[in-house]
Order: sequence, then C-alpha cells, then structure tokens
Amino acid sequence: MTTAGFRGEVLRGIEWFSHDFTGQRVAVVAPGREAAQIVPEVAATARSVKVFQEEPDWVVPVRVPGGRAVSAAVARFFLRTQVKDPWIRRLLTPHARFGSRRTAVSVGYYAALRHPDCKLITWPVYAFVADGVRTAEGVEHHVDCVVLGPGSVFARDEITEGRPA
Amino acid sequence: MTDFAAMLQTIKDKQWSLADIDWDAPGAETMTDELRAKMRPFMADLVWIEHIGARGFASLARKAPTPEIQEIYRYFHAEEQKHANAELALMKRWGMLDENGAMPEPNINVRLAIKVLDDFGDTLPLTGLATLIPLLECALDGALVKFLLEEVTDPVCHQVFKHINSDESRHITVDFQVLELIGAGPRHKLLIETIGNLKPQVIIGLIVVFVPLINKMRDNIVAMGLPENKLYNAVKRFASVGSRGEHTKRIPAYHVLKAQAAMVVDRSHAYHKYLADPMVKLTSKIPRRLLGKPQSWTEEITHEPVAS
Repeated sequence: MTTAGFRGEVLRGIEWFSHDFTGQRVAVVAPGREAAQIVPEVAATARSVKVFQEEPDWVVPVRVPGGRAVSAAVARFFLRTQVKDPWIRRLLTPHARFGSRRTAVSVGYYAALRHPDCKLITWPVYAFVADGVRTAEGVEHHVDCVVLGPGSVFARDEITEGRPA
Repeated sequence: MTDFAAMLQTIKDKQWSLADIDWDAPGAETMTDELRAKMRPFMADLVWIEHIGARGFASLARKAPTPEIQEIYRYFHAEEQKHANAELALMKRWGMLDENGAMPEPNINVRLAIKVLDDFGDTLPLTGLATLIPLLECALDGALVKFLLEEVTDPVCHQVFKHINSDESRHITVDFQVLELIGAGPRHKLLIETIGNLKPQVIIGLIVVFVPLINKMRDNIVAMGLPENKLYNAVKRFASVGSRGEHTKRIPAYHVLKAQAAMVVDRSHAYHKYLADPMVKLTSKIPRRLLGKPQSWTEEITHEPVAS
C-alpha cells in the first residue's frame, strides 16, 4: 500500500524539516518515535495537524544516562506529567509485550499534542485517497499534505512496491 | 494452526468507510414516526454496545499472545468504532438525533460497563476477556442486528449492515480461534490466569455489569414486542461454536460463561428470579454521578464520514 492515491503533497525522509506548512492541514503518518521528532516542527507552522501514530514509543525530554530502565522511568514520569487525559496517555504508552522498545528524545511532542489544532489518531490507516487518509474507524480525514515518517509501514511499502510518480 | 497473518491481510483488504455509503439515498422515508419512536432507544443501545465492544478490543490488544493477533485486535477495535459511527449516522438519517447531532445518553447498565472497562479492562487476564468478548458479540450484536434488519426496510440500513455483518463474522471467527490458541497452552498457565480472574473486582464487575446488561437488553427486546428467543438463540451460538473447538474446553472461563449463558437462555431458571432481574432493578437506582466522568474514548464517536 502506497500513497499513490493521494492528490496532495507528500513529504518523505527529512523533507519536512524546515518546510513551511503555513495554511496547510497536515497528516503525519509515522511510529511514535518519529512523530515525536516531526510533530513539534510541523505544528509550529501548519493550520492543523493530525498525528496518525502507527505504534507508541517512549519519549524523554532530554537524553538520559544510565541505561534503558532509567530512561523508561523518566519517560513514564514525563508522560504522566505532560498528558493529563488518561485515555490519551494510554494511547501514547508503548505496549509491554511487543513493538518497539526504542526511546525518542523530544521535549515538545506532548506539548504539541495538547494544542487544539493538533489531534492524535491511533486508528490504523488503511488507504490514501485523493483528498486524504482513510482510517479503519470509517472516517476519511481530509488533508493538504502528508508527512510520511521513514519508519512508517507505508514508507516501507514504497521501497518494495516503488514510489508513486 | 490458524494462519493469523492471512486473516490480518483479509481484514485489511475488506476495510470500508462511511464515505462509501450514500447517506442521502432514497429510503429514509420508510422510517415512520411510529417506528422511529420505537427504534430510537434500541438504536441508542446498539450504538453504545458497539462502542463498549470497541473498548473491550482495545484492552484485548494489550494482551494479545502474538504480534499478528495484536494487530488484528487493533483493527477490530477500530471496526467496532466504525460500526458505532455508522449506526449513529443511520440514527441521524432517520431523524433520531437532537439538533446538535449529539450522541444519545447511555443507560445505566451501559454506563456501568464503561466504568468497569475504564477501571479494570486493561488488568483483566487474557482468558477472561477473550472469553467474555465473543459471548457479548454473539448475544448482543447478533440478536440486535437480526432484529433491526427484520424491522427496517431502508436499503441504506441493509447496505450498512451487510458490511457490519461481514466484519462481525470475522470477529467471531478470530475470537474463537484465539480461544483455541489459549486453550492449547500449558495447563499451569490456564490455572494461573483463572486464579487471576477470581479477583473480587472481576467477580463483582461481572455480576453488577454483565448480568443486568444482558437482562436489560432482553427487557428492551420484549418491550418492543419481540420474542426473546432471538436473544436466546444468539446466546446459544456461543456454546455451539465454542464446543466445535478442540482446545477451547480446556479454558475454565469458557465453562463459567457457558454455564451462565445456559442460565440466561432458560427463563424459568432461578438465576433470573434471584439474580439477574433484581440486579436490573438495583442498578437502575444507582445515581449516575457516583460513576464519575467516563474517559475521553467515549467522545470519539462521530456520524460524519469526512473530517477535515
């Protein structure tokens, strides 16, 4: 599955960096560790941002010395203090059994998510259509620009299936 | 062994969207004023049951035994939400929502179910939740949807439920395949998880929430002039599908819920007189403010096919 059906702008790799999103409705499709890097930057200029988080990852505000256990404890505390809504916090908490154990460093991710024009969506993305993104809860999200994280399943599919022209 | 990876691919291939449906197509006029008044509380219950079913799958995704099953549950969580969204869109089409298009208020039994899922959903052991969900799906979803399709002739409703039924058949298939997988596991693990299920909050949660929820639904169906056999046949399906499996019967929680299902379908059983019916009455007296504010997942429902 690729972004081929989408008519708007698609940014890959680090094309989002220093890009001016003024006036645009932007979808960020990425695992949590990448969304944590991308979203604060995009939210600074975009009209609105929808974060389609493919899987949650731990986020710490600064690099933490002392190994994985310490950084997980810091990440847990950071999440608890930054996100008051228990359901949103649950959506941002990595699964204990599977998935990534990687930790991202981002001081502004949770602050960006608190912004009223920035929405976290964890429903699976199943298709790109002309005007935006379709998710499995049955809603079509209209956006002007899609930022595809390098670790996104769609970015991986574009490597195997070929990038749309 | 079941190929869960292939099932996951089928689930991805079969996705549909509210935007695929023409919500203004002719047929809404078939909903008469009389039928509208009768169906409104029923539809509100149905939307809420899908919505809490969605929350149940969110908890299951946290405990899935393999990454493929975890991803399947992630999709099922979204699909149940889609069903709630689509049913809310039908309510809007039929003029059952108020001017703001707001979601109808949940009844007290649904509110209790939300409370228990918010408080304990993520800590219930896999065997308990994985057994409870298919029973709820067989009983409530199956019976209610059959009833709806018999009552309503609107072609858009039938188009929507063709999709929903197709999704639900995959949900029930996977639910029982997962029970087979769990049942085939080591006996000591089943025993430990069973002991985990015996926590007081689980037992009380089951009695206070699940018992009256299912009986309240029966009361609603009977109040609408329908034979309660419809609900009972749907409940029987839980035992009949489960008994086909080779390993499911090794799960103690399955036997407990199967026994409860057998009591539910036998209207003359003392279960109704001494437990279920009094629980319906008792729970109806619980003040809503005692339950606090539900978590924000209850606000994610929408009848809009497109969000910008």
